[in-house]
Amino acid sequence: MDTGLLKGRERQIHEKGDKPFEIECDKGSLSGAVSQRACVFCGSRVVLYPIADALHLVHGPIGCASYTWDIRGALSSGPQLHRLSFSTDLREKDVIFGGEIKLEQALNELIELHSPKAAFVYSTCIVGIIGDDLEAVAKRASEKYGIPVIPVQSEGFKGNKRAGYNAACRAMGRLVGTSDTSAISPVSVNILGDFNLAGEIWIIREYLERMGVEVVANITGDGRVGDLMRAHGAAVNLVQCSGSTMDLARMMDDKYGTPTLRVSYFGVEDMAQALYDVADFFKDQDPGIVERAAALVREELELLMPKLERYRRDLNGKRAALYVGGAFKAFSLVKAFRLLGMKVVMAGSQTGTREDYEELHAVTDEGTIIVDDTNPLELVQFIKEKKVDVLVGGVKERPIAYKLGVGFCDHNHERKEALEGFVGMANFAEEIHRTVMSPVWRFVPRNEESSGE
Amino acid sequence: MRKVAIYGKGGIGKSTTTQNTVAGLVEMGKKVMVVGCDPKADSTRLLLGGLAQKSVLDTLREEGEDVELEDVAKTGYGDSVCVESGGPEPGVGCAGRGIITSINLLEALGAYEEDKGLDYVFYDVLGDVVCGGFAMPIREGKAQEIYIVVSGEMMAMYAANNICKGIQKYAEGGGVRLGGLICNSRMVDNEAEMIKALADKLGTQMIHFVPRDNQVQRAEINRKTVIDFSPEHAQADEYRALAKAIDENQMFVIPKPLEIAELEQLLMDYGLFG
Repeated sequence: MDTGLLKGRERQIHEKGDKPFEIECDKGSLSGAVSQRACVFCGSRVVLYPIADALHLVHGPIGCASYTWDIRGALSSGPQLHRLSFSTDLREKDVIFGGEIKLEQALNELIELHSPKAAFVYSTCIVGIIGDDLEAVAKRASEKYGIPVIPVQSEGFKGNKRAGYNAACRAMGRLVGTSDTSAISPVSVNILGDFNLAGEIWIIREYLERMGVEVVANITGDGRVGDLMRAHGAAVNLVQCSGSTMDLARMMDDKYGTPTLRVSYFGVEDMAQALYDVADFFKDQDPGIVERAAALVREELELLMPKLERYRRDLNGKRAALYVGGAFKAFSLVKAFRLLGMKVVMAGSQTGTREDYEELHAVTDEGTIIVDDTNPLELVQFIKEKKVDVLVGGVKERPIAYKLGVGFCDHNHERKEALEGFVGMANFAEEIHRTVMSPVWRFVPRNEESSGE
Repeated sequence: MRKVAIYGKGGIGKSTTTQNTVAGLVEMGKKVMVVGCDPKADSTRLLLGGLAQKSVLDTLREEGEDVELEDVAKTGYGDSVCVESGGPEPGVGCAGRGIITSINLLEALGAYEEDKGLDYVFYDVLGDVVCGGFAMPIREGKAQEIYIVVSGEMMAMYAANNICKGIQKYAEGGGVRLGGLICNSRMVDNEAEMIKALADKLGTQMIHFVPRDNQVQRAEINRKTVIDFSPEHAQADEYRALAKAIDENQMFVIPKPLEIAELEQLLMDYGLFG
């Protein structure tokens, strides 16, 4: 790395090589760096959004709501209420005279219209400044309609996206533990940190059910208020995605003694490992579960591996860069690319912790750039320097890849393709193959110039 | 046109002093507008004879964007122009933002245009400068001179000193200056000497010492300024003197706020041993 880096960013970037691993992370973004991160409010919104039978009301100016409108491709098997975004549309006079009356009216109107099972009221920056008493309004609405009405303390200025995850977890924590759990099997789990993008949580639920495991609550993909209320009855929390729901898992461990298993459903190795870990956890209650897990993995791999062969031939030696929200996904992606014969030459995340990056460093190859909280300028530089063939990221990274004329795979919350599970690995391989091998890239001026070399 | 802002501790008598002074100025033939910058909207009561006035923000709330200057500006004693910003009920919303919105609206409506022929605009601002909104009247292009109403009571002096910090901040960028301290007497020992000394240390002057007199209270009960209620009374002359002093004032400074220890020493020197 030579030029173009902003002063003050150097310590959040490490190129794996001779130097000992050292990276700064989990801190505020450098001003002027145009971080790819989102705000606190957006952080809470993406976590809670998939709870499909809840009302989601954004108390703030209309921009906050429109920016996060239908923000995930989170599918629901039933109600679609979550896909409607509601806002109190605060204007200047509401700021001056207070927004509580408007909020109360909006809650009354919406609860009567939609009969939700619960309502989340998101606080935005301006509401935090003028000090509207969300708790009081929520309490009145809750008493009036007999449903939980929960303020989400997600004022944007409180920190970064991580603080929003925490606010979302505290809001969900108020639901957990409020309903009867007597009918729940001792061999049962909650799925945390999966948002049912393109129906992914259904894939995972199906695997677990084939193993004889009851899924109590999806948190939050295809989520339901009633399931959250009895989530404390599950024997263990399966937590995917390092940032978003770990706080809830910790709260449940403290309060109900629910243990946590960290899992990932991306890629063959991690998917299989997740199922083995679950089987191992329940083997005393259900001795047959270990064999059932092994059989399931075997069956799925027999289907998958022949499909991968063709893609692997073409993709062997191609280079990938990945930039994701939580670092946990990056570990799985590194392994998934390795299975396809590809090299990951850059890996980064918005919200990784020190432990995350140490693990990422351990699983990557020599020469890989590891980066925390990057920005468009750096991404451009890394992609060119490392001659990347495909960038894996989200909606904010997509134009960067396309402008540079390299492939792109949407692995963020707007994706429309299921990438989890064994079937997801097949989809992932197909998608990577399609974009990397696309003939269109040869018309990119940069590639035309360099083709003569 | 001179643009004047009156600040001071809550309850010190800013609104009373402002309106009585304005009465003095209009008596001198000056054309004056008073803009009350307090959510309570009680800054023009004596000039309007207690007429309940619709505030700028109430009008904005009820009528929407189509506000006319005539809707919010009422004519008071001696052809003074009276405006109240208004604001939210206590404990809700953002009164500071209300002041900003209101003053911007008055500007947009042309309240300060040449054709209004104003000699003075007085902003009567509530209590301490608790946030950016309450500093609005002293930002660039708004009030250029400030008078702080103070008494010999410690908390009033403390507040005056604090307000000087706010003035200092905006003086550098916006050109606002301190015109002096108005001592609204509370019959504290050595009050005039102490306020003179405070003014001295701040680098300003005590522009007038207004003695305490029950006639002010009597006039207020009758919803009038002293000059209006009892033009012959000695207290009316005090306000005439204050109005004259402000009209003739040449001393405009950037104040030098005191350290707390310095302020307390001043109290010891004058309050205890003077």
